[in-house]
Order: sequence, then structure tokens, then C-alpha cells
Amino acid sequence: MFEQEDDIVERMIQQLRRPVAVDPALDARVLQAITAPRPSQRRVWPWLAAAAMLGAVMIWRPWSRGSGADRPDTLQFVLVAPQANSVSLVGDFNDWDPKRSPMRTANGIWAAVVQLAPGRYRYAFLVNGVEWRADPGAPAARDDEFGTPSSVVTVGGRGS
Amino acid sequence: MGIEKVESSDAELVRRIRAGDIGAYGGLVSRYRDRLGRYAIHMIGDREDAEEALQDSFVRAYRSLARCDDPARFGAWLYGILVNRCRTTGARAARRRRMFVRDADALHGAAHADQSERLEWTDAVDRALARLAPQYREAFLLKHVEDLEYEEIAEVTGAGVSALKMRVKRAREQLQRYLREAEHV
Repeated sequence: MFEQEDDIVERMIQQLRRPVAVDPALDARVLQAITAPRPSQRRVWPWLAAAAMLGAVMIWRPWSRGSGADRPDTLQFVLVAPQANSVSLVGDFNDWDPKRSPMRTANGIWAAVVQLAPGRYRYAFLVNGVEWRADPGAPAARDDEFGTPSSVVTVGGRGS
Repeated sequence: MGIEKVESSDAELVRRIRAGDIGAYGGLVSRYRDRLGRYAIHMIGDREDAEEALQDSFVRAYRSLARCDDPARFGAWLYGILVNRCRTTGARAARRRRMFVRDADALHGAAHADQSERLEWTDAVDRALARLAPQYREAFLLKHVEDLEYEEIAEVTGAGVSALKMRVKRAREQLQRYLREAEHV
């Protein structure tokens, strides 16, 4: 085989231009990194560090926290679920009603923002209307009486 | 083709992120992940190191988003961050060491002659690319593989257009020689 002067380089270019599939989990790792508390910031729930790796993460937005002890905090719940057609956030705070907190998606990352008064809440994600998923980045609810996985969030440092 | 200017969508996502919608950043990550990943893998030569560089670039970009002057050209801005990150990886030695181990294993396991030939060609391409000086490899990949215009490459690398043209020309000359050598081994 003997190719024209530049043909061999052109053939190499075509080889290099082939699409490369990067590990899809990179999206979740990036999300984990940007939501993890940085050293200069207040340490908020160290278990967030592992959350996005497992597919889900809940983000506390402390800048929107109320100033009074009983004022609600604003929390953003995020689930990485590229294959899902619908995801709802359900919990004590919305009577486990999937219609009350539907999550919006951007490229497989589902998010919902809710305001919660100080207290302890159980919650879960309902995927495609049938699949219950706990938040692997949050403590599991040990006292769930319904037999489906759920997680716990404590707002305002009370109600543990 | 160059870096495509996806005005409404990139700018809109950046606007939402700046407004506090962290989830919107996932849209930008998935949009640029594979294309920038290809550059990082070819530039660094090791998939694991490349994905680490890519992840780090996305995180740096997020944390510096306030410094992205033209959100509609987020892609070009992100390329600049990745190019710098790849330069500091210093993984060229690792590239050779790991690549050759992998390819030796792959060649040993090739079941058919045409499969073996394809692997040999892929190996030759990787070796030729690895032999280029980093600044030649960088210019060659951005111009011919990522299809950027010289002005865009100048923007992301900080080098002048004439210097970049020289680097690409010399890269092509060297690659021809390396690939020919591989053919006659």
C-alpha cells in the first residue's frame, strides 16, 4: 500500500474525527463537584459529596434561607435520570401527591424547587409514575411505613 | 464549520445558571461532553486522564461563569479552559506507557486479519500523534479534527495565527513521516 503524499494524513484525520463516547456518568460527577460544599463555604451535609455519583442529589440553597428561625428554606431537589419520561418529587410536605411537585428536566437532569418550613421531612422521587427512588445522597428514612424507599431531610436544624 | 454559535440555547442556559438553576448546567455538560472529550482523549492519550481533565474543565468553567463575557460563545470559552487544562496534565509519558500496553493486549486478542489490521492502523495513528510535540499536536487536533478556524484556535490557545499555521504544517509533515515509517515496519 502506498498512498499519495497527503492521503495518509487525511486518512488519519478521518480516524481521529470518529465520535468518542465519554463516560455518561461524567455529567453526574460534574454536578457533584459543583454542588459539593467548598472549603471556604459553610459545611452543609457532607454526604452530598457522594450524591450525584449515585444519580441523585438535593441542593440546599442557603442564600435563599429565611432570616427568622421559623421562616422556610428554599431547597432544590435534583435527580439525574436521563432515561426517565417523568419525575415527581413526593414527600410529607406535599402529602405524597405526585401532581403537586412535578420536576422539570434539562437533558436528563430533573429539578424541583420547594420551600420548606423548619422540620424533618421524608421524601422520594417517583419516576415514570411507578418507580419509587430514595435519594442516595440523603439519609434513608428508617421509619417508612409504606415499604417503599424514602429519604429524610431536616430543615433549619430542628425536628431531627 | 468552527465552533458553532448556538446563540439562544447556550446563552439561555448560562442565564438560567446565573439565576441559580444549577441543574441547567447539565444541559451544557451533555452538549459539549463528547466533542471536548474527543479532543482531550487525543491530546492526552489516556482516557482516564482525559476524562479527569474534562471534568475539571467543566467544574472550573462553572465556577468562573461570571467571567464568560459572551454566553452565546460558551463553547469557545470552554475550549480555552480545556486546552489549558490539557497542557498542564503533563501526561505524555503516561500516554505512551498505557497506550502500548493496551494495544499489545488488543493485538494479541484480534480474531481476524482485518481486525488485526484495523488495530495496527489505530495503533499507528496513536503512536504518530503521541510523537508530535504538544504544541503541534494541539494545533493539528484543533484545526483538522475539531474543525476550528485559525482565528478561533488563536483565541483558545493564545498563539498567533501565523505561528499556528506553521505548527499545523509541521505537524502534517511529521505525521506523514511517522505513518510511513509505521507502514514499512
